Amino acid sequence: MATCTGCSLLCEDIEAELSGGKLSKVKNLCRKGHGHFQSAFSERTVPMIDGKKVDLDQAIARAAEILRSAKSPLLFGWSNSTLEAQNVGISLAEKLDATIDDTSSFCQGILMERILSGSIPTCTLDDVRNYADVSIFWGADPSSSHPRHLSRFSYYPRGDKRQKSYEEERTCMVVDVRMSATATLCKDYLFRVPPGGDAEFIEAILSVLEGKIPRLGDKKKMIELGGLLKKAEWGAIFPGLGMIYSLQDNMEVFERLIARLNEITTFKVIPMAGHFNMRGFNELLREKTGYINRVSFEGGAASHGPENSVVAAAKTCDAALVIGSDPLSSLPFGTARALARLPLIAIDPRRSLTTDAAGVVIPAAISGLEAGGTAVRMDGVKIKFEPIIKADLPADEQILSRIMEAI
Amino acid sequence: MVGAMEIYMLLPKTNCKKCGLPTCMAFAVGLLGREKKIDECTPLIEEKKYEAKLKKLREVIAPLENASETGLIIHPEKCFGCGNCVVACPVNVAADPTHCGVGLGPESDKVILKVEDGVVVSNNLQECRRFGPNKILCNACTATCPSKAIEFV
Amino acid sequence: MVGLEVSIVTVRDIFQDEAGRHSRFSEEYRSKSAVIILDRQDLGSLGAKEGDLVAVENDTGSVIVAAVASHDDAHPGLAIMYNSPWSNQLVPEAVCQSSIPGFKSIRATVQPAEGSAAVTDISEIFSRIKG
Repeated sequence: MATCTGCSLLCEDIEAELSGGKLSKVKNLCRKGHGHFQSAFSERTVPMIDGKKVDLDQAIARAAEILRSAKSPLLFGWSNSTLEAQNVGISLAEKLDATIDDTSSFCQGILMERILSGSIPTCTLDDVRNYADVSIFWGADPSSSHPRHLSRFSYYPRGDKRQKSYEEERTCMVVDVRMSATATLCKDYLFRVPPGGDAEFIEAILSVLEGKIPRLGDKKKMIELGGLLKKAEWGAIFPGLGMIYSLQDNMEVFERLIARLNEITTFKVIPMAGHFNMRGFNELLREKTGYINRVSFEGGAASHGPENSVVAAAKTCDAALVIGSDPLSSLPFGTARALARLPLIAIDPRRSLTTDAAGVVIPAAISGLEAGGTAVRMDGVKIKFEPIIKADLPADEQILSRIMEAI
Repeated sequence: MVGAMEIYMLLPKTNCKKCGLPTCMAFAVGLLGREKKIDECTPLIEEKKYEAKLKKLREVIAPLENASETGLIIHPEKCFGCGNCVVACPVNVAADPTHCGVGLGPESDKVILKVEDGVVVSNNLQECRRFGPNKILCNACTATCPSKAIEFV
Repeated sequence: MVGLEVSIVTVRDIFQDEAGRHSRFSEEYRSKSAVIILDRQDLGSLGAKEGDLVAVENDTGSVIVAAVASHDDAHPGLAIMYNSPWSNQLVPEAVCQSSIPGFKSIRATVQPAEGSAAVTDISEIFSRIKG
């Protein structure tokens, strides 16, 4: 059995048949996971310095040199690396007095903070499968982003207390601005919100729960939703980026909703982390510094703040190491441009806009496929995996250790 | 997916009964249900004026010919590989309760639906509830598909 | 031609994700990423039809992408793009206290692309980023 590192569900029931070093048949991988596994065979990186092929030792030496001479380097990425690699990465940041941030900074960070600190109640996905009778995808489209979420945990499987599952015992709801692929599976329970309208939507739910008529939206639909929430025995809410980006600084209002719901019944929250080990990084950094992301070790002590987010730090740092992430593709133009102008080190198994712009490219083994390690699933469950393909490539952890030794 | 009316529009619409059915509409339904073959409409094959209609009809009927005996058609290019159908199919669950039943990929050979290379494939269709004399119109696989990658004709 | 004012929400698409995992530089990734899904009436008001190229522009940047007609209920003024280097050309940096860029609240103007225009290429985006 193999583990898929294509998303934060870390599916462990993957059966891969290999022939001649290639995958001949793979069972149980979704389309997204299949794309992830197949990515091992296209657009692989080679060690490069300033666009010229070099050997690995040279690339590592140059990376160490860049980081050593930088006054305020930024170490960014991390959500596609194992806990073992993240651990070395945090030590490297400490050693360099660097700023360290991961993709949660513009993803699930502001919610994850509340989950890890305990201010919003959470549970495992196995609990969801065993107990949940209501699953709510809020600003999330798992069919596209985490394809097996509904079949493995949140809607279709049978669980200890849910033997009749989706046919009789489970209700799935979607809160979204559009009819997403997931919403087509529960059309009657699609609650539409306008973009940016989540806070008002929550206020409307809160007033319905108090027995008041909501001031906004489709009143009948809101009253129906209030009834469904009150009737739930054991509910789970899965917030996606749609909700996070809409609420932003107003996350407190969601916390209030969850507290109110838990006065009535049980409601748990699991953030729909994107990359396979985003939560792992958040937990690890929190353990070491008290903060889940956006940490600077400048002056020797850990400090936290928006000025240490990748978006801000891209403008103020004087060198950057990017690992397992392609911020030049996934971040706004202005941030991408700021990063591209820095002395840039990219550690990545595959070619991307970021590796193309980087002065130093260091190829890495793909975690899960070519390198083993440990990762934390979106719900906090730790999962250990072994590689299934033998590749003559160093893992992130080894690359980072070697850079650290060379500094 | 093509409907009976769309097929009907491509027939001679003369109700000549040469196919053995009373009307062209009945023949259209027969084609859709794969109980009739295009060649049984002899005017359509023989008369030159129907040439364009015949060509179009063969095109719209082609996907039906790939349907399995239960009428199941999988469109792999639309499939997300999410496994919703694998876990929802009552035959799958009965055949492999400890895997399909709890959301995992099947280990039993007796299941109908499983995901391979990122998309769903079917096997053992004789076990499908839509098959055989006691068939029922189960739609667990189509109703749980987020992308209309499975359908029955 | 007066442009159509839209608010763009970026979302994920499994087929576009798959193409990107195969190669960020492929024609397939470009064709699946460089699209904007518009309300049918909005599309009509631009005098455009599905597949036509449109220029999407704001103070941050501009891209030429293919228009796609929405299958959803009417959503005038709301457009959908898949999260990609193309959508990120338009994402403003202006941030709130939480420093999250406005990936799902991009204000932009859409208008039919000029006759000779082609879909913005990834190499063009890369050279803009490199400056």
